[in-house]
Amino acid sequence: MAIFVLKNASVTINSVDLSAYVTSVTVDYKVDAVESTAMGASGHSFTGGLQSNTITVNLNQDFAATKTEATIFPLVGTTTTVVVKSDSGAVSATNPSYTIAGTYLEGSQPVAGAVGDLAAMALTFNGGTMTKATS
Amino acid sequence: MATYKVVADNIAGKNPGDSITDEELEGTNIAALLESGHITKTTSKKEAE
Repeated sequence: MAIFVLKNASVTINSVDLSAYVTSVTVDYKVDAVESTAMGASGHSFTGGLQSNTITVNLNQDFAATKTEATIFPLVGTTTTVVVKSDSGAVSATNPSYTIAGTYLEGSQPVAGAVGDLAAMALTFNGGTMTKATS
Repeated sequence: MATYKVVADNIAGKNPGDSITDEELEGTNIAALLESGHITKTTSKKEAE
């Protein structure tokens, strides 16, 4: 696997494959840095704390049944699972899947944009626990 | 174990008309899927009696 251009990322939200509507996706995997510095130290020291994950997804809007808006609207204010792959192909060492379970969706924008814009929505999922799979 | 019928064409790994269980939907917000019309609850014969 070499460097590559992101062309066909896979994004599944609440078991619904919305990849065909996704224009951009970012999986921000973080673990809190918990300070553990004690007396006698000459510099700060940290230990890993809780995961602090964020997924941002931009989607083209579609009000048709079971598409973008219908999928997202009932998820606001709840937790769900989001699965992201850099390519829609099978999970492998060069195409790992990132599953974020129990991630919270605080809000959505059913209508957003200026005159002439393509209707779209931006979503931010916060929290949850991430696991990576390579097979 | 609850079983649902897949209605939508975009449920990952399933086709419309397939059955899907709550075990397969672990971690999924099932209430949201029902509300959005992606799946419908199936009634077993035992439940119907």
